[in-house]
Amino acid sequence: MQQVTSETFDQNARAAMQDPVLHSALRHLAENFGERRKNAIESVDDWEGLRDRARATKDEVLLHLDTYLYQFAANAADAGAVVHWARDAPEACAIVLNLIKDRGATNVVKSKSMVTEEIHLNKALEAEGIEPVETDLGEWIIQLAGETPSHIVVPAIHKTKTQIAELFIEKVGIERTDDVDVLTGSARRILRERFARAQVGISGVNFGIAETGTILILENEGNVRLTTSLPKTHIAVMGIEKILPRIADLDVFLKLLPRSGTGQNLTAYQSLITGVKRDANDEGPDEVHIVLLDNGRSRMLAHPVTRQSLACIRCGACLNACPVYQQVGGHAYGSVYPGPIGAVIMPQLIGYSKARQLPFASSLCGACREVCPVKIDIPELLLHLRAEITDGSPTTEKRFRKLGESLAFRLYGFLWSDARKYRLGMKAGRLFQKLIIRNGKIKKQGNVISRLMPPLANWTARRDASPLAPKSFREHWHDELRTK
Amino acid sequence: MQEANARESILASIRQNLAAGRAFDDVHKEAKINDESTRSTSLSRDELINNFKRNLDSVGGHCHIVSEMSEAAEAVFKIIGSLSATNIAISDSSIVAAITNGLSINVVVNADPEYLFASDVGVTSAQYAIAETGTIVLESDTERHRLTSLVPPVHICILQAGNIRQTLGEILEIVQSDLSRTVTFITGASRTSDIELTLAIGVHGPRELHVVVIDDHRP
Amino acid sequence: MKVSLFITCLVDQLYPNIGTSMVEILRRTGCEIVFDERQTCCGQPAFNTGYRHEARKFAIRFIEIFEETDADAIVAPSGSCTAMVKHFHDLFHDDKRWRERADEIATKTNELSGFLVNVLKTVDVDASTSGRFSWHDACHGLRELNLRDEPRLLLKNVKGLEFVEMSNADVCCGFGGTFSVKFPEISAGILDNKIESIEKANIDTLVSSDASCLMQISGRLSRLGSKIKTMHLAEVLAMQN
Repeated sequence: MQQVTSETFDQNARAAMQDPVLHSALRHLAENFGERRKNAIESVDDWEGLRDRARATKDEVLLHLDTYLYQFAANAADAGAVVHWARDAPEACAIVLNLIKDRGATNVVKSKSMVTEEIHLNKALEAEGIEPVETDLGEWIIQLAGETPSHIVVPAIHKTKTQIAELFIEKVGIERTDDVDVLTGSARRILRERFARAQVGISGVNFGIAETGTILILENEGNVRLTTSLPKTHIAVMGIEKILPRIADLDVFLKLLPRSGTGQNLTAYQSLITGVKRDANDEGPDEVHIVLLDNGRSRMLAHPVTRQSLACIRCGACLNACPVYQQVGGHAYGSVYPGPIGAVIMPQLIGYSKARQLPFASSLCGACREVCPVKIDIPELLLHLRAEITDGSPTTEKRFRKLGESLAFRLYGFLWSDARKYRLGMKAGRLFQKLIIRNGKIKKQGNVISRLMPPLANWTARRDASPLAPKSFREHWHDELRTK
Repeated sequence: MQEANARESILASIRQNLAAGRAFDDVHKEAKINDESTRSTSLSRDELINNFKRNLDSVGGHCHIVSEMSEAAEAVFKIIGSLSATNIAISDSSIVAAITNGLSINVVVNADPEYLFASDVGVTSAQYAIAETGTIVLESDTERHRLTSLVPPVHICILQAGNIRQTLGEILEIVQSDLSRTVTFITGASRTSDIELTLAIGVHGPRELHVVVIDDHRP
Repeated sequence: MKVSLFITCLVDQLYPNIGTSMVEILRRTGCEIVFDERQTCCGQPAFNTGYRHEARKFAIRFIEIFEETDADAIVAPSGSCTAMVKHFHDLFHDDKRWRERADEIATKTNELSGFLVNVLKTVDVDASTSGRFSWHDACHGLRELNLRDEPRLLLKNVKGLEFVEMSNADVCCGFGGTFSVKFPEISAGILDNKIESIEKANIDTLVSSDASCLMQISGRLSRLGSKIKTMHLAEVLAMQN
């Protein structure tokens, strides 16, 4: 069972880095998906132009989100869908639960949806005796294992096929195998049975189109199509930021999302669902319900830097590009959304207190910004959140600072506020370092130093440190260089 | 009542937060929507067919190009024969009915889910296709093929070459006028990479997709 | 051309040879050099760790000092410090006048390789050496300042230098400022991947444009007892042997 939270990210990360199986899986992910994405982009004429257009569309929607959202809801309702509004996770879960109970349904199938993970929907349903079965292969694997997804697109990336085989043998009783096709075939066989009897299908939504009230869902496996076509009732849960203005806008986003996410030109299936069937005899559910979820998203609109968080189309490219994610994997973040996008939205969704380590767990390399199809400036967001957490802001009541670090930065600010104090401070440093230099280097530091100067201890655990040079540049300048 | 309150509350929260952000917006640059209309391509029919075939092949689909109905029927019979199929489900398309007429095995139109789950092949037509990706486009209001194209393990699709367009943009423009309640885009067979990023074909949707393209302009 | 040196605290105190080399190269290309000894730091550590209050004070001081230097350009041997100057703007949300002053200074500030290739239009600074060299793309220089070709062009024009493009040259070294000591294990894990790329390239010397990356990489190479040297771009370009 997953016990880890964002509050212990540093411990989670350390533990994760001890796991050689995970290490290998994450390396494979980074190389594989990096390669796939690069190849897929080559088939596009003007990739940068597409990104710009997508971001501009998102900016426009977010600046007028109330209007577009209202339009979407009205058009969806006109086409026969029932639109529900949920301010937070409990409200959303209650809506879904009531829809299921009111219809006396017990057999519920689910397709992959990060927003339903966010609201912990499965747990809420299970508490009331309803056991929804995940039908996406990766999600079904982690459901059997009692875990949470470790990646937005490939939720079971942290598991080897041997581990998955063991899981299937234990939980659903298959014959021993390590053939991926056989494993997949058994998942198909078992889940088909559930599809055949399903009364309610729950899905997410990739995009909601304001001008028509259409929802679009992308997939590769076919479980979304089954989930949204077979059962009598379809419930779609959607974050309010998923709106696009027009059907025509899908052109840009359908070019960006599959390529960024899985390196495909298009995923195997896209379903554009508008309202409910026109005739009772037509195929498809009798009812379509759309649950619109806020859960902290509207708050993110309050600043242009945080507003861009809502442009995210959940492609997962940032996870694949992130050197930190590659070291620790998704579970270490202890949050629904991991990786770079997780590090910026989790503090905004669950609060700075719980998620305050996440924005600091980045080297600010910017690889995420480079691959983001909608050009979210994640480093800018990380810096913004770091400032809010450390320095506070008009909207936050509390600052979170470590005393030692705060004093160190005060000292740095004071000493380096003029050249004379700076020079004196460095002279003192040169004296002090005589204690710890050996053979021109500063090696691993022992107990006393580690307690007095944890950063130096942390550095020297794996790296030598360079000492302050005997003569600084400014001394060289003063003595030799300036008069040439 | 609670839901009406929730709606008003969410919309109000959006407006308030946007208003709060306006003070910072001047300092940040905002982009305008670049309203580039879809450039429609003027490729020849042959180019469209070749592009479609090439792209369908690249995702593991099977493209059969014929010049008339009888050849289409031949192609379909051959595929069905090679699968040793015994139960076929077909959509309510008249072309599909004509093509599958004469099969000696079970052919059921508008089958119920029970039959669909037990069938070997589903045969439908497609309303449009996208050449640049090898995608077939199914409109639910035009033909009853939603489950027939999904549940059986093999999907055979009849496509008129004249309904192929080069780009997704063109198709989006076409389907949105008189928008069907469900429009489905299908590109190749069902697949997953969820286990160790190893590709497996045929998860929940069909594991095999055949598209029979009828090009009546062929000599 | 008159150049005002933005030496950076790291070079000033830990790697003065980088500064000396930079002066040598710029004088070789005919620049007149001035160095305002009042400078201390651009405040990047404070900015990156969320201490905006302190960062703003550093920015104000930097801007005031460099406004007074009558030079055509400000040049730094660091992509990250140059990028910091370009971010001063973010510290003055409430003050249009300071934003304008920050932007003026930012426009004049250049990283060394960008300055040589894009401003002085020089790719050859008459340098020479021998051996196999490879380049590590420091993240800020690469992604914030878009400097990818410039350092490579400069290195390839060093006579006798055998340039090798290593795998994953553009992947982070794991330094990230205070990240390197806040999350030392993650930083070291990322660094190990970089060391692997370096060792695979079979080179004598690894070159980069940021002393912070060099500190990170050389720190590990030294701990491993590796013979591979690390040098700053300025130090390579200053060589004439």
